[in-house]
Amino acid sequence: MSPHLRDAAGAATLAAAGLAAFWLFPEDLGLLTRIAATALYVLSLDLVLGYCGVATLGQAALFGTGAYAAGIAAVHLVAEPMVLLLIGGVAGGLIALATGALILRAHGLALLMLTIAVTQMAHEVANKARWITGGSDGLSGIAPDPVLGLFRFDLYGRTSYLFALAVLVVGLLVAQRIVRSPFGLACRGVREDPLRVAALGGSPRRYLIGMYTISGVFAGVAGALTAVSTGIVGLDSLGFSWSAEALVMLVLGGAGRLYGAIIGTVAFMAIHHILAATDPFHWMLFIGLFLMGVVLFAPGGIAAAAERALERAAGWLRRAGARA
Amino acid sequence: MTPRLSVRGLSKSFGGVAAASEIDLDLHPGDRCALIGPNGAGKTTFVNLVTGVLAPDQGRIELDGHDVTRLSAQRRVRLGLVRTFQVARLFRGMTVREHLELAILEREGRTASLFASIRRIPGLADEVAALLGTLGLAPVAGTTVATLAYGQQRLLEIALALALKPKVLILDEPAAGVPHAESRRILDALDRLPADLAVLMIEHDMDLVFRFAQRIVVLAQGRLLCSGTAREIAADPRVREVYLGSREHAHRAP
Amino acid sequence: MQTVLGIAIDGVAYGMILFIISVGLSVTLGLMRVVNLAHGAFAMVGGYLASFAAQRLGLPFEAAAAGAILLTVVLALPLERLLYRRIYGSANELAQVLLTIGLTFVVVAGINYLFGPTLKRIPLPGYLEGVVELGPKAIPTHRAFVIAVGMAAIAGLWWLLERTDFGVKLRAAVDDPAMAAALGIRTERLYAATFALGVGLAALGGILGAELLPLEPYYAIRYIVLFLAVVAVGGAGSVFGSAGAALALGIVDTAGKYLIPDFGEFFFYAAMILILFRWPNGFFRRRTA
Repeated sequence: MSPHLRDAAGAATLAAAGLAAFWLFPEDLGLLTRIAATALYVLSLDLVLGYCGVATLGQAALFGTGAYAAGIAAVHLVAEPMVLLLIGGVAGGLIALATGALILRAHGLALLMLTIAVTQMAHEVANKARWITGGSDGLSGIAPDPVLGLFRFDLYGRTSYLFALAVLVVGLLVAQRIVRSPFGLACRGVREDPLRVAALGGSPRRYLIGMYTISGVFAGVAGALTAVSTGIVGLDSLGFSWSAEALVMLVLGGAGRLYGAIIGTVAFMAIHHILAATDPFHWMLFIGLFLMGVVLFAPGGIAAAAERALERAAGWLRRAGARA
Repeated sequence: MTPRLSVRGLSKSFGGVAAASEIDLDLHPGDRCALIGPNGAGKTTFVNLVTGVLAPDQGRIELDGHDVTRLSAQRRVRLGLVRTFQVARLFRGMTVREHLELAILEREGRTASLFASIRRIPGLADEVAALLGTLGLAPVAGTTVATLAYGQQRLLEIALALALKPKVLILDEPAAGVPHAESRRILDALDRLPADLAVLMIEHDMDLVFRFAQRIVVLAQGRLLCSGTAREIAADPRVREVYLGSREHAHRAP
Repeated sequence: MQTVLGIAIDGVAYGMILFIISVGLSVTLGLMRVVNLAHGAFAMVGGYLASFAAQRLGLPFEAAAAGAILLTVVLALPLERLLYRRIYGSANELAQVLLTIGLTFVVVAGINYLFGPTLKRIPLPGYLEGVVELGPKAIPTHRAFVIAVGMAAIAGLWWLLERTDFGVKLRAAVDDPAMAAALGIRTERLYAATFALGVGLAALGGILGAELLPLEPYYAIRYIVLFLAVVAVGGAGSVFGSAGAALALGIVDTAGKYLIPDFGEFFFYAAMILILFRWPNGFFRRRTA
């Protein structure tokens, strides 16, 4: 099957699964909406981690900037949802470009620390600027206009969810396109061997900054989407934990495949929802053990395990067919 | 005629050790030049200086008359100065075809393109197919490098270099590490390099050197010892002195 | 209203605690090239064990502290062998981050389960309470003790690295692991010993610093960024670097909290960004990347 066909099939499967969830779980639309928006957020991390090899704990800064930009715009300026997404994306992208140009010279621990520092600083700025961000109380009162002027955001969350799902599917298609483009190919090269890319005449730094900016746009849109579909922006959207959770979800699902980001988000948030009623420390224990397990026994996450299982199944079928 | 590559007075010291001293070299289009010398003579340092991986202490490097001494390695590649690596440096997760596609897209400056589909770029598939054919890599076009035989990896290195349409090509021990059964292919590939390309080859294998080079340059302790045709070099007593033992070593039957 | 001396003393004491805890992290990062985000958990465990021994078992401070440090090392050593060893090397960075975050979560959950969510104190012995007179000024004895222990640790580590066989081997292995192995240095034993040393120091720091870094289950998560900052700014593998960075960060952070309480954290992170941006290998290593 050609890669383009596989991409389209993947997006179609996502849309179908999303619609199925809509009919199967009408009581849980709030959760499903958050899952969809978060999946886009984790997808943004996959672009920079899975396809460029940059280990970052700073994705929340990009998400949160988009969320706050959209939220503040919604409260004071304009409430059209598509415009708000655009504002979020631009905000996330600009922050990514500005910080990426500075910090992507570093590697390893230094880079990790720089991403953490940027996130913490953004958190502090949002915290202190109470007059516009609501500080630790968060930003509320976001009342978006009907989508495309037609679909009102109803109290049951139906519009919110379908809107979020649509944005996610489109986001996946765009990401797939980017990853298969010449730019995407060059970024994969940078992930494997930046010096080799330089020996081909390319600039690894430019590719890294470029992909980081793109991931910032995606993260910003995800933040704006969260703001629009839930009506609030909390200070923890700029928190270090939110960055770490994205990393956990991505690794759980399997980095470097795009669809792994979505699987990981669904799995993580579903389990969290089930265990959330219990002690938060039980949740920590579970996630901690799981993380250790994934690293030691299943480094590619769910996606890799699924791929291996499929390959083995295909192998059996081939041999069974040959024997027949 | 302006030489394709012109090196004057290239010098570099590490601590007190002179790895390169006052090296002069010219390469014209169509040259087939081999750089030889005993271990530690400074051949790799010289290549790193010329390609821009190392900055010289003194000296001047010109490409087609343009001074490139201060330019980055990347910029030099874009100007047509390409090298292969002594130990194959490839993208293990990418297929052979993807390597060539990337090199060609890089050359054409099309890697900023976010939404183009690689398959639909006119002429790309044809050029990739031609390169695969020239180096006999067509059967493994879809194979990931991680599973490729080492000899084929070396061939891919050469294909990558050619994909960049270089004006000057520096081959760093192209046959190193390749089992004899596969080195035939590499020799054939070297024979088929474009006629107007200026080629500098670093090698230890004297069979390959005498077969390939129309001019040989000998480096010893960072200095240019002498240069000339294969016959002149073979007869020069200074070369034998500096190289004592390694000719026998190179001529030992496999 | 704190005086300049008060801020300085608090800052230096805080810096010493950061140093004692972080130096182990720095050395293991430099030697085994492992980013250990669970390092704070070792400090926390040491503190909790000492608190338990002193408060519930009624042991005197010295015995409780010594026992806690020993027990923490004994608990950590199998982890080195079974877990950490699998992920050494700079190629495994992401795996290290994830594995050690996971381990931290498990330890945090475990501590909460065993000891509950409330703050734990370690009762100080009589001789560490009160103040110590230094001419006209008086410094809390505990702070003075911490500073003294810190200086002893710096001196001790310097002696260990520069004047002993172990130190020579350790420095060689940090500089060039393959060469060290080729020279017959038993790198595995070296790793285990170094890890044990780092954990032991972390536990000591957790115990001594219980007043400055309060013991509660989220300790390991709350403070790991600080320890990592010390290592990143000081340069991995450098004892003096860690000392310098820890003192600088300790003083800056304390001064910030007292003088500009509204923007203290902002200042701290901005300083870290500036330093790391200019010297990605650490301020005290001075090698630009």
